Amino acid sequence: MKNVILGLLRNKKALTGLLILAIIIVAAIAAPLLTGFDPARRVGLPHQPPNADHWLGTTRIGQDVFSRLIYGARTSLAVGFGAGFIITAVGTIMGIAAGYKGGKVDEAISFLTNMVLVVPNLPLLLVLASFIGQASPVVIAIILGGTSWAWGARVTRAETLSIKQKDFVKAAEMLGEPGWRIMAAEIFPNLVSIVGINFIGSVVFAVITEATLEFLGLGDPQAVSWGVMLYSAQNASALQVGAWWDILTPCFALVFLGTGLSLLNFAIDEVANPRLRTGNSLARWVGRVRAGEGSL
Amino acid sequence: MNNPLLSVQDLSIEYVGDKTDFRAVDHVSFDVAPGEVFGLAGESGCGKSTIAFAISRLHKPPALICGGNIMVAGRNVLDLDANELARFRWHEVAMVFQSAMNSLNPVLRIESQFHDLLKRHRGYSKAQSRERCAELLKLVDIPADRMRDYPFQFSGGMRQRIVIAICLALEPKLIVMDEPTTALDVVVQREILQRINELRRQLGFSVLFITHDLGLMVQFCDRIGIMLDGKLVEQGTADQIYRAPTHDYTKKLWASFPSFHAPAPRQENAQ
Amino acid sequence: MVFLLRRLCFYLAAFIAAATINFFLPRLLPGDPIQIMFSSAGSTLSPENLEALKLTFGFVDAPLWQQYLTYLASIFTGDLGLSIKYFPLSVNEVLGRALVWTVGLMGTATLISFTLGTMLGIVAAWRRGSKFDVIFSVSAIVATSVPAMVTSLVALYFFGFTLGWFPTGYAAAPALDPAFSFEYISSVIYHAILPIITLSIVLTGGFVVTMRNNMINLLGEDYITMGRAKGLSDRTVMFWYAARNALLPTVSGLAIAIGTVLGGSLVTEVVFNYPGLGNTLYHAILARDYPVIQGQLLIMTLAMLTANFIVDVSYVLLDPRLRRA
Repeated sequence: MKNVILGLLRNKKALTGLLILAIIIVAAIAAPLLTGFDPARRVGLPHQPPNADHWLGTTRIGQDVFSRLIYGARTSLAVGFGAGFIITAVGTIMGIAAGYKGGKVDEAISFLTNMVLVVPNLPLLLVLASFIGQASPVVIAIILGGTSWAWGARVTRAETLSIKQKDFVKAAEMLGEPGWRIMAAEIFPNLVSIVGINFIGSVVFAVITEATLEFLGLGDPQAVSWGVMLYSAQNASALQVGAWWDILTPCFALVFLGTGLSLLNFAIDEVANPRLRTGNSLARWVGRVRAGEGSL
Repeated sequence: MNNPLLSVQDLSIEYVGDKTDFRAVDHVSFDVAPGEVFGLAGESGCGKSTIAFAISRLHKPPALICGGNIMVAGRNVLDLDANELARFRWHEVAMVFQSAMNSLNPVLRIESQFHDLLKRHRGYSKAQSRERCAELLKLVDIPADRMRDYPFQFSGGMRQRIVIAICLALEPKLIVMDEPTTALDVVVQREILQRINELRRQLGFSVLFITHDLGLMVQFCDRIGIMLDGKLVEQGTADQIYRAPTHDYTKKLWASFPSFHAPAPRQENAQ
Repeated sequence: MVFLLRRLCFYLAAFIAAATINFFLPRLLPGDPIQIMFSSAGSTLSPENLEALKLTFGFVDAPLWQQYLTYLASIFTGDLGLSIKYFPLSVNEVLGRALVWTVGLMGTATLISFTLGTMLGIVAAWRRGSKFDVIFSVSAIVATSVPAMVTSLVALYFFGFTLGWFPTGYAAAPALDPAFSFEYISSVIYHAILPIITLSIVLTGGFVVTMRNNMINLLGEDYITMGRAKGLSDRTVMFWYAARNALLPTVSGLAIAIGTVLGGSLVTEVVFNYPGLGNTLYHAILARDYPVIQGQLLIMTLAMLTANFIVDVSYVLLDPRLRRA
């Protein structure tokens, strides 16, 4: 665990990712300090390009795009991390239980997991959301959490199966420790990097999917979020009338957040899996070969 | 030694790390004569496998050869360009790897793993390769009609015999064996080593044999080198190493063996 | 063979699960399920049609389990009901028309991105740490985190509206009648280029990352070193020793990736106003056309299962260990 964190602090991709994430979180928290405009109200003329008052212009109904952007970050982050947490928690518990318990439990969970994996996720979400009506971000987070844990469960199960064979687990079993304790205290700590990758991947997925559902008109159009920004801009024919700021702003925000999280994820993978690492040693190796100090 | 087949001269290899380098092979020199079996022993991590890989220049970053020469039949391996190296590999030095279960490509038929080699080095057609493949499999007692099978259909010992057959395909002068029997059980281990010995008498290649099992090595090798922390601390004939080890480390290695493991007749002599 | 049969049984179960979701969803929500599903039907459907539609969805005067069996029976006889929005067309007709466009779009984009992504992943892993690797693996990761609608919207804005290189909607020029003419077919291709490129960009990144990781995990294997020791050319070792083996986990990952492909194509179609399943679903959701929405889930599940089965078969072909078993 400590090694993973230390490794991350030395990894350029991880630092870039953390920086991006920090910028977005700070902007979201400090939103009232950064802008005086109410994100939901009409505060200017419709579809104005970026200017001194409205840094990123206004929407067709005269809302301030910049203030919608930073207040919207709150929703995206909350849904992303909230749903990401549910997805990871369910997936991890299912995966560990299936991998460790084996037998009937494993069969049941694996069957369910495979089932969820082959029913197409986005269409299923669309059907659920369409029956629920205009889904608030909280509802979207819960639906996402309930339908998207399968991938994590499968990966966690595979890893649990190999950890189960290790001596320290056998030793704990011999000592008569209860099953739940072995799963929580012996197996789980060894899954930290997998759970971390699963969590960040799920956050990315949740952010993208929430925005997609809202973009397709299944969200609450009154909510302030990046997906709703895209939906309103698309409805206002922002592209056709050339109001690029209206539609490219949330696009950029989603890419920015997604990039930060993905870099972080890639870095965890590199730190946890030494084979994937392309660190300093390789650069020094290349340097020494170039300097003629050795041969390939 | 006059005209050694393999001459490792003052070889040093480092593993380049994030900040500092680790010297895995430190000024090592030894010769292997034509037809000789030379053993390199030492515990894991002492650098013996690194040498084995370096002879065909198979080592990969972060390993770096930072000094010395590797002469094979009078040519310095480290001076070969990419084309020469491709022709040199397997043609002059073939290699048997540690994991018998895993040295054959799992998705290619056995005959294809002969054919890619023979086509590359000899320009053989499929039919020619098949003929040669049958010959070679016979040498290691595997029925020729199994050449159309995949590696997973053979046992570990059979797979290692197939690898040996592939090794012989181009009649190399030297075969490097990096712990060739470690992954196999004792009975199969013996069988394979006996087979290698017969083939060696028949075909006359040299063997560089690498293992941590000193007892096995004394039975199989003509001469032996003992490695410790990247240095070659002692070398001599198998008899010398067994009866009169001079270095403390070699003595300790022997002391660590249960006596029943050593070959019986020699043990009497030693007492 | 046994393997494939077992997969087929599993797919049947998965399909029934999707149908079960369709059946219970309106019944589990608070309120009258008939009211929820058919409230917008009054204006278009005649009373007889509405009765038939209710029957299709299992709304009969009987206990729940009989309703369920009635619904399953109508699905397995291929009756998905009538569309409310596109009445008098049946759901089958509406979705059948759309399916052709989606399959074309998805198939082409998957083929392009799988080939391209896998090749890039192979080379990136082979030259690990090189400029090529750094550039392509980092941009691949970034690409996987970009939502499909963002890529589509940006492409549409620049290449559709600003530069005017490509059409901004529809699958063919609206003035043309569908025919096997050069004019019509070239119009179809012209309209498909931008959506296909966009979707391919969305999908390629994932394939690069998967293939690169699978390759790197394999490069330490002894049979790769043996391939090099045999003096084989770099190309032979890279493709026949490393990539050929790394393809196995990549192909099994493809089954899961198909879900992403489907999701991506849904969104791309909406942005480009392309008349496939995604766009149909979008308009059905706007019109609360529940028979079409529910039919979509079944058709898409079926599409996904078919794609999974194709993956299974190619997996068996690629892995000799399964072929003999």
